[in-house]
Amino acid sequence: MLLGIDVGGTFTDAVLIADGQVVAAAKTPTTRQSLLNGVVTVIDKVLTGVDAKKIRRAALSTTIVTNALVEGKTDKVALFLLPGPGLNVTGLIPGEPHFLSGYTDHRGREQACPAEAEVAAVCRKLEDHEVAAVAAKFAVRNPRQEQLVTDWVNKYLQPKHITLGTQVSGSLNYLRRINSAYYNSAVWRIFSRFAQAIEAALAERDIIAPVYILKADGGTLPLTTAKSTPVEAIFTGPAASVLGIMALTKPVEPAISLDMGGTTTDIALWQHGMPLFAPDGARVKDYPTAVRSFCLRSVGIGGDSYVRRENGLLAVGPMRCGPAMANGGLAPAVTDALRVAGLIDYGDIGLARQAMERVAEATQTAAEAAWETLRLAAATVCQAVQDMLAEQAARPVYKVEELVAGRPFKPELLIGVGGAASGLAPLVAKQLELPWQIPPGHMVANAVGAAAARPTTEITLRADTAQGFYTVPELGVIQEFAKRRFTLQDAWTAAGTHLAERAAAGGMAEAADCSERLYEEEFNLIRGFNTIGKIMTCKLQIKPGVLMPVQMREAEL
Amino acid sequence: MKAASLGLVFFPAFDWAITPTHPEREERLLYTRDQIVEEGLLDLPAIKEYRPQLAGLADIERVHIGVPNIESLITDAHLLSAGGAIAAAQAVMRREVTNAFALVRPPGHHAMRVVHGTRGFCTINIEAVMVEYLRRHYGVQRIAIVDTDVHHGDGTQDIFYHDPDTLFISFHQDGRTLYPGTGAMSELGSPGAFCSTVNIPLPPGTTDAGLHEVLDRLVLPMLEDFRPDMIINSAGQDNHYSDPLANMAVTAQGYARLAEKLKADIAVLEGGYSIEDALPYVNTGIILAMAGLDYSRVIEPDNARCPRQSVATTNYIAKLVAEWQDIWQGRDRLRREAVAKAGGWWQQRRNIYYDDSGIQERQTETVRLCPRCHGYQLIDTQAQGYPFGMKSAFAAIIPRNSCPACRAQARDAVHKARQAGRHDCCFIQDKQEDILVPCGT
Ligand SMILES: [Zn+2]
Ligand SMILES: [Zn+2]
Repeated sequence: MLLGIDVGGTFTDAVLIADGQVVAAAKTPTTRQSLLNGVVTVIDKVLTGVDAKKIRRAALSTTIVTNALVEGKTDKVALFLLPGPGLNVTGLIPGEPHFLSGYTDHRGREQACPAEAEVAAVCRKLEDHEVAAVAAKFAVRNPRQEQLVTDWVNKYLQPKHITLGTQVSGSLNYLRRINSAYYNSAVWRIFSRFAQAIEAALAERDIIAPVYILKADGGTLPLTTAKSTPVEAIFTGPAASVLGIMALTKPVEPAISLDMGGTTTDIALWQHGMPLFAPDGARVKDYPTAVRSFCLRSVGIGGDSYVRRENGLLAVGPMRCGPAMANGGLAPAVTDALRVAGLIDYGDIGLARQAMERVAEATQTAAEAAWETLRLAAATVCQAVQDMLAEQAARPVYKVEELVAGRPFKPELLIGVGGAASGLAPLVAKQLELPWQIPPGHMVANAVGAAAARPTTEITLRADTAQGFYTVPELGVIQEFAKRRFTLQDAWTAAGTHLAERAAAGGMAEAADCSERLYEEEFNLIRGFNTIGKIMTCKLQIKPGVLMPVQMREAEL
Repeated sequence: MKAASLGLVFFPAFDWAITPTHPEREERLLYTRDQIVEEGLLDLPAIKEYRPQLAGLADIERVHIGVPNIESLITDAHLLSAGGAIAAAQAVMRREVTNAFALVRPPGHHAMRVVHGTRGFCTINIEAVMVEYLRRHYGVQRIAIVDTDVHHGDGTQDIFYHDPDTLFISFHQDGRTLYPGTGAMSELGSPGAFCSTVNIPLPPGTTDAGLHEVLDRLVLPMLEDFRPDMIINSAGQDNHYSDPLANMAVTAQGYARLAEKLKADIAVLEGGYSIEDALPYVNTGIILAMAGLDYSRVIEPDNARCPRQSVATTNYIAKLVAEWQDIWQGRDRLRREAVAKAGGWWQQRRNIYYDDSGIQERQTETVRLCPRCHGYQLIDTQAQGYPFGMKSAFAAIIPRNSCPACRAQARDAVHKARQAGRHDCCFIQDKQEDILVPCGT
């Protein structure tokens, strides 16, 4: 059996899956003050009458990291940067940077050496910092200087945790690696504590199965590995719902999915049965990071979205004022409109009608006000979908062939999941003139996604045959080989070996079989009129996805 | 005050090359891409990235006369690099950004009005296509083009040589020491557009100091006098001290300060072939300067090897500047004299060599100087080269504001040429009607 837990903004859900079938599901309000209480409650609920020893795997999607960032409960980070020549990042990154000498250029050639005395001096100033981060420009082309400075920081500052830029991403984008490394250290302590508490709570309940944490890219990480890269656990809620959709209904046609919850609707785009990824990474508090994530857009429309008149004009969301009146709340919400319009049949119809009367104009009936509310809510979601499609169509490409032959993304299906989907998603589909689908189990799609998500990881291998070495920054590898005697095929073979190595180190050795080529680039290096070598880049990943398709008979639960 | 914002069209055309080992090949912008992406420039709020579009044939034929036609001489990459310049212009005109930089390839400033093939790595002139697009679609009249490539922008000069509404300023390494050999001070525009072509040939070894001397004392004051509606920068980056094709000594800082002072509305990448040691730094510097960001830390790692400017060079430049200041002060009188001397007609004969295609062209250009309008031009061209042997064409160019008499005369000249039957193709490029009409023989 697989246990999946999703800690959402409003509810914490859990499911048990056996042989691709949801056999138990439970829901409890999320306990914001102590996330653990809600998690424990929902586990106890879903495990009623179940032998915990039969659980093979437990996976968790949590808002702990996101909350810590939003609420500012993060640690001060000693931030060491080797920026070399280029952009002045002062003011563009969170935290205060400490600039060091040392520079590696775009081909991974050392151009200036770092200085130990500088590091020692900065460490003396930052004695009260318990966590640190080190990031060097072009370290993905040669991680040596970043490693060297990390050793010095460990020697002089002895932080409890230190994050390297190359450890969080093997891709170009120094700014994003700085931000990722910074946040990773900033949330390290709070995440570690949470992870320990979870481990203890599960052990108490005789759950001896390995525990995984969901990542923003839909993969999972063993909890023990996640302790060193907690920044990967941001935005896992939307990722869980995307994985849930993959498990419950894998769309073959280009599709749009809407996860319509209490406060927001999260939009994702699908092609060839896979959600599209964000080109560079997620944004955290307006700072771009290298955390790989799905291409998602969130709009402030959900079942609890506050409905009111502002200067005579109807307004819906983006804020919520507690639950809908139909569910015992104090203010009119979208759920009230759905109830009055007859699109859902739970909640108190009398209270829902009162809610709609409160927002109705003098000449309007409650039902008319409900439909006006729903049209507006659907139109807001539609606009966000349209914006997302336009952005997708405008995404830059760098080859002639891609521009001439590339076709724009054109959705053919809309999939709705989440509490508000059954009422609202068909209205959005109608406005977009698309067929729609709401899979059974959609109410607990996030927990299903967490339970079924597969472990993933990736590596980047870059070889420079003129210089005779390749690097795998995520592993800190610099490997020399005979100059020019290295082919693209060799690069892929080596990448496979290193991916397996990284997977094994992360406790997911068996997953390495599902690898997929993510990116390939090969350029000739020419001096004068002669080819003196090649520069190759290979990105290999363990494909994000689900362990198995999942079914659910709605009526049973 | 709204923060400065830069629209960036980055199109490195990673799958297009002239030939595999040509300086203009696939990886020319590879290291620039690496630097831009590594710096995180595309994530900055002051920079907005745009994708290029495919320029239409009509956009190209508004400027060029391809012999026998332009389609057979270009690839999609050319349409995309011209379309990249157009996309940059649109972003500025729609006021989505305050200025824009089209960092695209292949380049264009050696492509002349008549095109038989590729010369100086250029087949179509992407700045000229963009300028005429701006005029056609946005009604922009007075445009200044400042060509900061190390090579003389002979193609752009040719296209606007008779247009008094376009001020073309090119500073470059002296043509006596570098391809394409043209760009002497004496090339000042035909009489009707006298002094709207400004050539500033600089000695080899000119540094940031020399370049900024020319900029501060000549180029910026000229722009102030001309009062253009828009400034376009043909941003070639081969003045860099590490460029393998030229002998200048400009640094990334020199280029970035140039971009900051010039305040171009749109910059379009031209040359620059030090693809590893210069382009990543120069382009980063220009992008930051155009976006109003701090570029002071953009310094090449091997900056110490940039030569100093010799005293002789400094003195030479001072003399050159003084000479040009005199010409510029007297430009109205000089124009009147040139028009008077020419009478109604002005003519030039030229040999044009297409180094990339091995084509030799002989061209006679006849300009009608009309007291009522901008006149018209007739071009008689004959080209010889592999694989076509010989081909010839006759064309009339009718500008935007031509009078009825000039229109009639121009058309008449083409009809006569067609009847005479000595040319393979005949064309009328009618800028008022915005069409290029091929007339078969
Ligand atoms: Zn050039
Ligand atoms: Zn006339």
